[in-house]
Amino acid sequence: MLLEVEHLDVFYGKAQAVHSAAIGVKPGEMAFLVGRNGAGKTTIMRAISGFTRAGADSRIHFNGVDIANHRPEEIARSGLRYVFQDKRVITKLTVRENIHLAAYPFHVSPKAAVAKICDIYPRIEKFLNIKAGGLSGGQRQLLLIGRALIGNPKLLLIDEPTEGLAAGIIEDVFKVLSQLKGDVSMLIVEQNLDLVRRLADRIYAMKEGRIMMELDNSADSRSGSNLEQFL
Amino acid sequence: MISVIAYGLTLGGILYIISIGFSFTFGTMKIVNYAHALIFTIGGYILYATLPRIGFYPAAVLAATLGVIPIAFIIERFVIRNLYGESVDLTIIATYAVFLIGLDVLKWIWGSNPLQMSDPINKTFTFLGTELPVYRMAVIVIALALAILIEIFLQRSMAGKIVIAGLEDKETVRGLGISVQRYFTMVFIIGSALAALGGVLYAPITVVEPYMGFQILMLSFAVVIVGGLGNWRGTFVAAFFLGMVMSVTGRWWGPASEVAVFAILAVSLLIHPIDI
Repeated sequence: MLLEVEHLDVFYGKAQAVHSAAIGVKPGEMAFLVGRNGAGKTTIMRAISGFTRAGADSRIHFNGVDIANHRPEEIARSGLRYVFQDKRVITKLTVRENIHLAAYPFHVSPKAAVAKICDIYPRIEKFLNIKAGGLSGGQRQLLLIGRALIGNPKLLLIDEPTEGLAAGIIEDVFKVLSQLKGDVSMLIVEQNLDLVRRLADRIYAMKEGRIMMELDNSADSRSGSNLEQFL
Repeated sequence: MISVIAYGLTLGGILYIISIGFSFTFGTMKIVNYAHALIFTIGGYILYATLPRIGFYPAAVLAATLGVIPIAFIIERFVIRNLYGESVDLTIIATYAVFLIGLDVLKWIWGSNPLQMSDPINKTFTFLGTELPVYRMAVIVIALALAILIEIFLQRSMAGKIVIAGLEDKETVRGLGISVQRYFTMVFIIGSALAALGGVLYAPITVVEPYMGFQILMLSFAVVIVGGLGNWRGTFVAAFFLGMVMSVTGRWWGPASEVAVFAILAVSLLIHPIDI
Protein backbone atom coordinates (compact mmCIF):
# COMPACT_ATOMS: atom_id res chain seq x y z
CA MET A 1 0.00 0.00 0.00
CA LEU A 2 1.16 3.51 -0.75
CA LEU A 3 -1.20 5.01 1.82
CA GLU A 4 -2.34 2.99 4.79
CA VAL A 5 -4.66 4.54 7.35
CA GLU A 6 -5.77 2.52 10.36
CA HIS A 7 -7.73 3.36 13.51
CA LEU A 8 -8.03 6.99 12.47
CA ASP A 9 -9.94 8.99 15.06
CA VAL A 10 -10.48 12.73 14.82
CA PHE A 11 -12.00 14.89 17.54
CA TYR A 12 -13.28 18.44 17.43
CA GLY A 13 -13.23 19.28 21.11
CA LYS A 14 -15.23 16.50 22.76
CA ALA A 15 -17.12 15.57 19.59
CA GLN A 16 -15.70 12.68 17.59
CA ALA A 17 -15.88 13.39 13.85
CA VAL A 18 -14.14 10.24 12.60
CA HIS A 19 -14.31 6.82 14.26
CA SER A 20 -11.50 4.32 13.72
CA ALA A 21 -11.39 4.79 9.95
CA ALA A 22 -9.28 2.48 7.78
CA ILE A 23 -8.34 3.43 4.23
CA GLY A 24 -5.73 2.15 1.81
CA VAL A 25 -4.52 3.36 -1.57
CA LYS A 26 -2.23 1.18 -3.70
CA PRO A 27 0.42 2.63 -6.03
CA GLY A 28 -1.24 3.93 -9.21
CA GLU A 29 -4.71 3.41 -7.77
CA MET A 30 -7.58 5.89 -7.93
CA ALA A 31 -9.68 5.60 -4.78
CA PHE A 32 -12.81 7.55 -3.94
CA LEU A 33 -14.39 8.56 -0.66
CA VAL A 34 -18.13 9.09 -0.90
CA GLY A 35 -20.74 10.10 1.64
CA ARG A 36 -23.14 12.84 2.66
CA ASN A 37 -22.11 16.30 3.78
CA GLY A 38 -20.84 16.06 7.35
CA ALA A 39 -19.98 12.35 7.04
CA GLY A 40 -16.32 13.11 7.85
CA LYS A 41 -14.75 12.86 4.37
CA THR A 42 -12.95 16.20 4.44
CA THR A 43 -11.90 15.59 8.05
CA ILE A 44 -10.18 12.38 6.95
CA MET A 45 -8.42 14.20 4.07
CA ARG A 46 -7.28 16.97 6.43
CA ALA A 47 -6.04 14.49 9.02
CA ILE A 48 -4.03 12.53 6.43
CA SER A 49 -2.47 15.74 5.05
CA GLY A 50 -1.63 17.08 8.52
CA PHE A 51 -4.09 19.99 8.70
CA THR A 52 -6.26 18.41 11.38
CA ARG A 53 -4.92 16.53 14.38
CA ALA A 54 -5.40 12.76 14.33
CA GLY A 55 -6.18 10.87 17.57
CA ALA A 56 -3.31 9.38 19.56
CA ASP A 57 -3.81 5.79 18.40
CA SER A 58 -4.26 6.69 14.73
CA ARG A 59 -1.87 5.16 12.26
CA ILE A 60 -1.19 6.96 8.96
CA HIS A 61 1.59 5.46 6.86
CA PHE A 62 2.57 6.98 3.54
CA ASN A 63 5.19 5.31 1.39
CA GLY A 64 6.25 3.24 4.41
CA VAL A 65 6.71 6.24 6.71
CA ASP A 66 4.51 7.20 9.67
CA ILE A 67 3.21 10.69 8.89
CA ALA A 68 0.49 10.98 11.54
CA ASN A 69 0.39 14.53 12.90
CA HIS A 70 3.43 15.62 10.93
CA ARG A 71 3.43 19.22 9.68
CA PRO A 72 1.42 19.74 6.48
CA GLU A 73 4.39 21.25 4.64
CA GLU A 74 6.57 18.23 5.53
CA ILE A 75 3.86 15.85 4.33
CA ALA A 76 3.49 17.83 1.09
CA ARG A 77 7.23 17.74 0.49
CA SER A 78 7.28 13.97 1.11
CA GLY A 79 5.08 13.53 -1.98
CA LEU A 80 1.52 13.66 -0.67
CA ARG A 81 -0.35 16.70 -1.94
CA TYR A 82 -3.79 17.88 -0.79
CA VAL A 83 -6.04 19.85 -3.13
CA PHE A 84 -8.49 21.65 -0.86
CA GLN A 85 -12.22 21.92 -1.24
CA ASP A 86 -13.55 25.33 -2.37
CA LYS A 87 -10.95 25.80 -5.15
CA ARG A 88 -8.51 27.80 -3.05
CA VAL A 89 -6.16 29.62 -5.39
CA ILE A 90 -4.20 32.67 -4.25
CA THR A 91 -6.47 35.30 -5.75
CA LYS A 92 -4.06 38.23 -5.35
CA LEU A 93 -1.33 36.52 -7.40
CA THR A 94 -1.47 35.83 -11.11
CA VAL A 95 -2.01 32.32 -12.41
CA ARG A 96 1.67 32.24 -13.39
CA GLU A 97 2.73 33.31 -9.89
CA ASN A 98 0.46 30.66 -8.36
CA ILE A 99 2.33 28.09 -10.42
CA HIS A 100 5.75 29.54 -9.52
CA LEU A 101 4.81 29.34 -5.85
CA ALA A 102 4.10 25.62 -6.18
CA ALA A 103 7.40 25.05 -8.02
CA TYR A 104 9.53 26.85 -5.42
CA PRO A 105 9.73 24.22 -2.62
CA PHE A 106 10.56 21.48 -5.11
CA HIS A 107 13.31 23.42 -6.90
CA VAL A 108 11.46 22.97 -10.19
CA SER A 109 12.21 25.75 -12.66
CA PRO A 110 9.25 28.14 -12.99
CA LYS A 111 9.26 27.68 -16.76
CA ALA A 112 9.10 23.88 -16.50
CA ALA A 113 6.28 24.15 -13.96
CA VAL A 114 4.22 26.40 -16.25
CA ALA A 115 4.91 24.08 -19.20
CA LYS A 116 3.74 21.07 -17.18
CA ILE A 117 0.42 22.68 -16.30
CA CYS A 118 -0.11 23.91 -19.86
CA ASP A 119 0.51 20.35 -20.99
CA ILE A 120 -2.22 19.01 -18.68
CA TYR A 121 -4.62 21.87 -19.33
CA PRO A 122 -3.60 23.81 -22.49
CA ARG A 123 -6.39 26.41 -22.18
CA ILE A 124 -4.76 27.85 -19.05
CA GLU A 125 -2.04 29.39 -21.22
CA LYS A 126 -4.08 32.45 -22.15
CA PHE A 127 -4.90 33.14 -18.47
CA LEU A 128 -1.33 32.97 -17.15
CA ASN A 129 -0.99 36.71 -16.60
CA ILE A 130 -4.36 37.43 -15.00
CA LYS A 131 -5.00 37.35 -11.25
CA ALA A 132 -6.10 33.84 -10.25
CA GLY A 133 -9.14 35.39 -8.56
CA GLY A 134 -10.48 36.09 -12.06
CA LEU A 135 -10.60 32.40 -13.05
CA SER A 136 -13.87 30.48 -13.23
CA GLY A 137 -14.48 27.59 -10.83
CA GLY A 138 -13.50 24.98 -13.41
CA GLN A 139 -10.34 26.82 -14.42
CA ARG A 140 -9.37 27.16 -10.76
CA GLN A 141 -9.91 23.46 -10.17
CA LEU A 142 -7.76 22.44 -13.12
CA LEU A 143 -5.08 24.92 -12.07
CA LEU A 144 -5.12 23.41 -8.57
CA ILE A 145 -4.83 19.84 -9.83
CA GLY A 146 -2.02 20.86 -12.20
CA ARG A 147 -0.29 22.84 -9.45
CA ALA A 148 -0.43 19.85 -7.11
CA LEU A 149 1.36 17.73 -9.70
CA ILE A 150 4.49 19.91 -9.72
CA GLY A 151 7.40 18.06 -8.17
CA ASN A 152 5.94 14.67 -9.17
CA PRO A 153 4.01 13.69 -6.04
CA LYS A 154 3.18 10.04 -5.40
CA LEU A 155 -0.30 10.68 -4.07
CA LEU A 156 -2.92 13.39 -4.60
CA LEU A 157 -5.77 13.94 -2.17
CA ILE A 158 -8.45 15.89 -4.03
CA ASP A 159 -11.46 17.22 -2.15
CA GLU A 160 -14.72 17.61 -4.11
CA PRO A 161 -13.15 18.48 -7.49
CA THR A 162 -16.48 18.85 -9.32
CA GLU A 163 -18.48 20.59 -6.60
CA GLY A 164 -20.38 23.56 -8.01
CA LEU A 165 -19.14 23.05 -11.57
CA ALA A 166 -21.26 23.07 -14.74
CA ALA A 167 -21.70 19.77 -16.57
CA GLY A 168 -19.31 20.74 -19.41
CA ILE A 169 -16.56 21.66 -16.98
CA ILE A 170 -17.08 18.45 -15.00
CA GLU A 171 -16.26 16.63 -18.22
CA ASP A 172 -12.99 18.63 -18.48
CA VAL A 173 -12.10 17.62 -14.92
CA PHE A 174 -13.01 14.02 -15.75
CA LYS A 175 -10.70 14.09 -18.79
CA VAL A 176 -7.79 15.44 -16.78
CA LEU A 177 -8.30 12.89 -13.99
CA SER A 178 -8.57 9.99 -16.42
CA GLN A 179 -5.46 11.24 -18.22
CA LEU A 180 -3.58 11.13 -14.90
CA LYS A 181 -4.98 7.76 -13.84
CA GLY A 182 -2.21 5.21 -13.33
CA ASP A 183 0.58 7.83 -13.32
CA VAL A 184 -0.17 9.14 -9.87
CA SER A 185 -2.21 7.61 -7.06
CA MET A 186 -5.26 9.53 -5.96
CA LEU A 187 -7.76 9.61 -3.13
CA ILE A 188 -10.71 11.76 -4.15
CA VAL A 189 -13.73 12.96 -2.21
CA GLU A 190 -16.61 13.09 -4.65
CA GLN A 191 -20.40 13.15 -4.60
CA ASN A 192 -20.89 12.69 -8.35
CA LEU A 193 -21.45 8.94 -8.47
CA ASP A 194 -21.37 8.82 -12.26
CA LEU A 195 -17.82 10.16 -12.23
CA VAL A 196 -16.91 7.86 -9.32
CA ARG A 197 -18.12 4.76 -11.13
CA ARG A 198 -16.32 5.73 -14.34
CA LEU A 199 -12.96 6.36 -12.70
CA ALA A 200 -12.67 4.48 -9.41
CA ASP A 201 -10.50 1.46 -8.71
CA ARG A 202 -11.65 1.43 -5.11
CA ILE A 203 -14.50 3.15 -3.28
CA TYR A 204 -14.95 3.91 0.40
CA ALA A 205 -18.43 4.93 1.55
CA MET A 206 -18.78 6.94 4.75
CA LYS A 207 -21.63 7.67 7.11
CA GLU A 208 -21.55 9.59 10.40
CA GLY A 209 -17.78 9.48 10.71
CA ARG A 210 -17.42 5.79 9.94
CA ILE A 211 -16.27 3.89 6.86
CA MET A 212 -19.33 1.76 6.15
CA MET A 213 -18.25 -0.01 3.00
CA GLU A 214 -15.16 -0.66 0.89
CA LEU A 215 -15.42 -2.05 -2.59
CA ASP A 216 -13.27 -2.77 -5.59
CA ASN A 217 -14.93 -1.06 -8.50
CA SER A 218 -14.97 -4.14 -10.67
CA ALA A 219 -17.98 -4.92 -12.84
CA ASP A 220 -19.32 -7.40 -10.28
CA SER A 221 -19.20 -5.06 -7.34
CA ARG A 222 -20.61 -2.22 -9.46
CA SER A 223 -23.73 -4.17 -10.17
CA GLY A 224 -24.12 -5.28 -6.56
CA SER A 225 -23.35 -2.04 -4.81
CA ASN A 226 -25.81 0.59 -3.80
CA LEU A 227 -23.70 3.68 -3.26
CA GLU A 228 -26.75 5.95 -3.52
CA GLN A 229 -27.76 5.03 0.01
CA PHE A 230 -24.71 6.90 1.30
CA LEU A 231 -25.56 10.17 -0.46
CA MET B 1 -0.88 75.96 5.57
CA ILE B 2 2.28 74.62 3.91
CA SER B 3 3.78 73.87 7.32
CA VAL B 4 0.58 72.05 8.33
CA ILE B 5 0.77 69.87 5.21
CA ALA B 6 4.49 69.23 5.75
CA TYR B 7 3.88 68.23 9.39
CA GLY B 8 0.99 65.98 8.31
CA LEU B 9 3.20 64.24 5.77
CA THR B 10 5.99 63.82 8.34
CA LEU B 11 3.55 62.33 10.83
CA GLY B 12 2.14 60.15 8.05
CA GLY B 13 5.63 58.93 7.21
CA ILE B 14 6.36 57.99 10.83
CA LEU B 15 2.95 56.31 11.16
CA TYR B 16 3.56 54.34 7.97
CA ILE B 17 6.99 53.13 9.09
CA ILE B 18 5.73 51.88 12.44
CA SER B 19 2.39 50.59 11.13
CA ILE B 20 3.63 48.42 8.28
CA GLY B 21 5.19 45.82 10.61
CA PHE B 22 2.18 45.97 12.92
CA SER B 23 -0.11 45.41 9.93
CA PHE B 24 1.82 42.39 8.68
CA THR B 25 1.94 40.80 12.15
CA PHE B 26 -1.78 41.39 12.45
CA GLY B 27 -2.49 40.15 8.91
CA THR B 28 -0.25 37.09 8.86
CA MET B 29 -0.36 35.87 12.43
CA LYS B 30 -3.61 37.43 13.69
CA ILE B 31 -1.69 38.81 16.64
CA VAL B 32 -2.21 42.29 18.09
CA ASN B 33 1.37 42.93 19.07
CA TYR B 34 1.67 45.54 21.82
CA ALA B 35 5.38 44.72 22.06
CA HIS B 36 5.68 46.65 18.78
CA ALA B 37 5.39 49.83 20.87
CA LEU B 38 8.26 48.65 23.06
CA ILE B 39 10.48 48.08 20.01
CA PHE B 40 9.59 51.58 18.76
CA THR B 41 10.63 53.03 22.14
CA ILE B 42 13.82 50.95 22.32
CA GLY B 43 14.77 52.33 18.89
CA GLY B 44 14.55 55.87 20.29
CA TYR B 45 16.61 54.97 23.36
CA ILE B 46 19.33 53.16 21.38
CA LEU B 47 19.63 56.25 19.18
CA TYR B 48 19.89 58.45 22.27
CA ALA B 49 22.59 56.18 23.74
CA THR B 50 24.65 55.57 20.59
CA LEU B 51 24.60 58.97 18.88
CA PRO B 52 27.02 60.67 21.29
CA ARG B 53 29.43 57.70 21.03
CA ILE B 54 29.24 57.23 17.25
CA GLY B 55 28.83 60.90 16.45
CA PHE B 56 27.47 60.21 12.96
CA TYR B 57 23.68 60.30 12.78
CA PRO B 58 23.08 57.81 9.90
CA ALA B 59 25.35 55.25 11.61
CA ALA B 60 23.45 55.69 14.89
CA VAL B 61 20.15 55.24 13.01
CA LEU B 62 21.46 52.02 11.51
CA ALA B 63 22.74 50.81 14.90
CA ALA B 64 19.35 51.48 16.53
CA THR B 65 17.40 49.86 13.69
CA LEU B 66 19.55 46.74 13.59
CA GLY B 67 20.08 46.69 17.36
CA VAL B 68 16.47 45.70 18.02
CA ILE B 69 16.68 42.59 15.81
CA PRO B 70 17.95 40.25 18.59
CA ILE B 71 15.24 41.61 20.92
CA ALA B 72 12.57 41.10 18.24
CA PHE B 73 13.89 37.59 17.63
CA ILE B 74 13.63 36.70 21.33
CA ILE B 75 10.08 38.14 21.55
CA GLU B 76 9.04 36.20 18.43
CA ARG B 77 10.65 32.94 19.53
CA PHE B 78 9.45 32.88 23.14
CA VAL B 79 6.19 34.85 23.10
CA ILE B 80 4.69 35.41 19.65
CA ARG B 81 5.30 31.86 18.43
CA ASN B 82 3.31 30.49 21.37
CA LEU B 83 0.36 32.70 20.48
CA TYR B 84 -0.32 31.41 16.96
CA GLY B 85 -3.92 30.31 16.69
CA GLU B 86 -4.79 31.74 20.11
CA SER B 87 -7.58 34.25 20.69
CA VAL B 88 -6.86 37.92 19.97
CA ASP B 89 -7.57 38.75 23.64
CA LEU B 90 -4.79 36.42 24.76
CA THR B 91 -2.33 37.90 22.24
CA ILE B 92 -3.12 41.38 23.57
CA ILE B 93 -2.60 40.32 27.20
CA ALA B 94 0.66 38.46 26.49
CA THR B 95 2.25 41.15 24.30
CA TYR B 96 1.05 43.91 26.65
CA ALA B 97 2.88 42.05 29.45
CA VAL B 98 6.04 42.08 27.33
CA PHE B 99 5.51 45.82 26.74
CA LEU B 100 5.20 46.50 30.49
CA ILE B 101 8.23 44.38 31.40
CA GLY B 102 10.31 46.11 28.71
CA LEU B 103 9.08 49.50 29.89
CA ASP B 104 10.31 48.81 33.42
CA VAL B 105 13.69 47.71 32.07
CA LEU B 106 13.94 50.97 30.08
CA LYS B 107 13.01 53.01 33.18
CA TRP B 108 15.59 51.09 35.20
CA ILE B 109 18.32 51.91 32.66
CA TRP B 110 17.42 55.46 31.62
CA GLY B 111 14.89 56.64 34.21
CA SER B 112 11.43 58.07 33.51
CA ASN B 113 12.37 61.62 32.60
CA PRO B 114 11.96 62.69 28.98
CA LEU B 115 15.26 62.94 27.13
CA GLN B 116 15.55 65.75 24.62
CA MET B 117 17.29 65.25 21.27
CA SER B 118 18.23 67.94 18.83
CA ASP B 119 17.33 68.07 15.14
CA PRO B 120 20.11 65.99 13.55
CA ILE B 121 20.19 68.09 10.36
CA ASN B 122 19.29 71.42 11.93
CA LYS B 123 18.74 73.17 8.63
CA THR B 124 15.66 74.68 7.05
CA PHE B 125 14.62 75.60 3.56
CA THR B 126 11.96 77.94 2.26
CA PHE B 127 9.06 76.59 0.21
CA LEU B 128 6.35 78.98 -1.05
CA GLY B 129 7.37 81.46 1.58
CA THR B 130 7.26 78.95 4.46
CA GLU B 131 10.37 77.83 6.29
CA LEU B 132 10.47 74.03 6.68
CA PRO B 133 12.95 71.81 8.56
CA VAL B 134 15.00 69.65 6.17
CA TYR B 135 14.84 66.78 8.70
CA ARG B 136 11.07 66.46 8.39
CA MET B 137 11.33 66.35 4.62
CA ALA B 138 13.96 63.63 4.98
CA VAL B 139 11.51 61.58 7.09
CA ILE B 140 8.90 61.85 4.31
CA VAL B 141 11.46 60.77 1.69
CA ILE B 142 12.56 57.79 3.83
CA ALA B 143 8.91 56.69 4.27
CA LEU B 144 8.26 56.93 0.52
CA ALA B 145 11.49 55.05 -0.26
CA LEU B 146 10.50 52.30 2.20
CA ALA B 147 7.04 52.03 0.64
CA ILE B 148 8.67 51.52 -2.77
CA LEU B 149 11.14 48.95 -1.38
CA ILE B 150 8.34 47.02 0.33
CA GLU B 151 6.32 47.03 -2.89
CA ILE B 152 9.33 45.73 -4.86
CA PHE B 153 10.03 43.07 -2.20
CA LEU B 154 6.43 41.85 -2.23
CA GLN B 155 5.90 41.94 -5.99
CA ARG B 156 9.29 40.83 -7.29
CA SER B 157 10.77 38.36 -4.79
CA MET B 158 9.59 34.83 -4.11
CA ALA B 159 9.69 35.56 -0.37
CA GLY B 160 7.37 38.51 -0.99
CA LYS B 161 4.95 36.38 -2.99
CA ILE B 162 4.94 33.77 -0.23
CA VAL B 163 4.05 36.52 2.25
CA ILE B 164 1.22 37.78 -0.01
CA ALA B 165 -0.04 34.22 -0.38
CA GLY B 166 0.30 33.58 3.37
CA LEU B 167 -1.69 36.71 4.14
CA GLU B 168 -4.51 35.37 1.98
CA ASP B 169 -4.47 31.66 2.79
CA LYS B 170 -1.83 30.20 5.08
CA GLU B 171 -3.14 26.62 4.75
CA THR B 172 -2.86 26.64 0.98
CA VAL B 173 0.75 27.80 1.16
CA ARG B 174 1.61 25.08 3.69
CA GLY B 175 -0.14 22.55 1.46
CA LEU B 176 2.28 23.49 -1.31
CA GLY B 177 5.18 22.36 0.90
CA ILE B 178 6.27 25.85 1.99
CA SER B 179 7.18 26.44 5.65
CA VAL B 180 5.25 29.69 5.72
CA GLN B 181 6.04 30.26 9.40
CA ARG B 182 9.67 30.97 8.55
CA TYR B 183 8.56 33.81 6.27
CA PHE B 184 6.21 35.17 8.90
CA THR B 185 9.12 35.24 11.37
CA MET B 186 11.18 37.13 8.78
CA VAL B 187 8.32 39.60 8.29
CA PHE B 188 8.01 40.03 12.05
CA ILE B 189 11.69 40.84 12.40
CA ILE B 190 11.70 43.25 9.45
CA GLY B 191 8.54 44.88 10.84
CA SER B 192 10.20 45.24 14.24
CA ALA B 193 13.30 46.82 12.70
CA LEU B 194 10.98 49.28 10.92
CA ALA B 195 9.21 50.04 14.22
CA ALA B 196 12.62 50.86 15.71
CA LEU B 197 13.37 53.03 12.69
CA GLY B 198 10.06 54.81 13.33
CA GLY B 199 11.16 55.47 16.93
CA VAL B 200 14.54 56.65 15.74
CA LEU B 201 13.06 59.10 13.25
CA TYR B 202 10.40 60.31 15.68
CA ALA B 203 12.79 60.90 18.60
CA PRO B 204 14.25 64.21 17.32
CA ILE B 205 10.73 65.54 16.60
CA THR B 206 9.47 64.77 20.10
CA VAL B 207 11.30 63.47 23.19
CA VAL B 208 12.55 60.03 24.15
CA GLU B 209 10.53 58.72 27.08
CA PRO B 210 9.28 55.29 28.18
CA TYR B 211 5.69 55.79 27.01
CA MET B 212 6.45 57.32 23.63
CA GLY B 213 5.56 54.05 21.91
CA PHE B 214 2.21 53.56 23.58
CA GLN B 215 0.61 56.69 22.19
CA ILE B 216 1.93 56.03 18.69
CA LEU B 217 0.78 52.38 18.86
CA MET B 218 -2.81 53.49 19.36
CA LEU B 219 -2.50 55.69 16.28
CA SER B 220 -0.81 52.85 14.43
CA PHE B 221 -3.69 50.58 15.40
CA ALA B 222 -6.06 53.07 13.76
CA VAL B 223 -3.89 53.13 10.62
CA VAL B 224 -3.87 49.36 10.35
CA ILE B 225 -7.64 49.03 10.78
CA VAL B 226 -8.49 51.91 8.43
CA GLY B 227 -5.97 50.65 5.85
CA GLY B 228 -7.13 47.03 6.09
CA LEU B 229 -5.44 44.20 8.03
CA GLY B 230 -2.33 43.04 6.21
CA ASN B 231 -3.03 45.45 3.34
CA TRP B 232 0.32 47.15 2.78
CA ARG B 233 -0.98 49.64 0.21
CA GLY B 234 -3.97 50.48 2.37
CA THR B 235 -1.61 51.00 5.32
CA PHE B 236 0.40 53.49 3.26
CA VAL B 237 -2.67 55.51 2.24
CA ALA B 238 -4.22 55.37 5.73
CA ALA B 239 -0.98 56.47 7.44
CA PHE B 240 -0.60 59.59 5.32
CA PHE B 241 -4.33 60.33 5.43
CA LEU B 242 -4.51 60.07 9.22
CA GLY B 243 -1.23 61.96 9.63
CA MET B 244 -2.75 64.77 7.60
CA VAL B 245 -6.00 64.63 9.59
CA MET B 246 -4.01 64.98 12.82
CA SER B 247 -1.99 67.85 11.50
CA VAL B 248 -4.93 69.79 10.08
CA THR B 249 -7.16 69.18 13.12
CA GLY B 250 -4.31 70.02 15.48
CA ARG B 251 -3.72 73.30 13.66
CA TRP B 252 -7.22 74.52 14.56
CA TRP B 253 -7.83 72.72 17.83
CA GLY B 254 -4.91 70.73 19.30
CA PRO B 255 -6.79 68.41 21.69
CA ALA B 256 -9.04 67.19 18.86
CA SER B 257 -6.26 65.84 16.64
CA GLU B 258 -6.23 62.30 18.08
CA VAL B 259 -9.99 62.32 18.62
CA ALA B 260 -10.40 62.90 14.89
CA VAL B 261 -8.25 59.84 14.14
CA PHE B 262 -10.29 57.60 16.43
CA ALA B 263 -13.54 59.02 15.04
CA ILE B 264 -12.37 57.96 11.56
CA LEU B 265 -11.42 54.56 13.00
CA ALA B 266 -14.94 54.19 14.44
CA VAL B 267 -16.55 55.12 11.10
CA SER B 268 -14.24 52.70 9.30
CA LEU B 269 -15.26 49.89 11.66
CA LEU B 270 -18.92 50.69 11.14
CA ILE B 271 -18.49 50.50 7.36
CA HIS B 272 -16.10 47.52 7.32
CA PRO B 273 -16.29 45.51 10.56
CA ILE B 274 -13.14 43.42 10.99
CA ASP B 275 -13.23 39.70 11.40
CA ILE B 276 -10.34 38.43 13.52
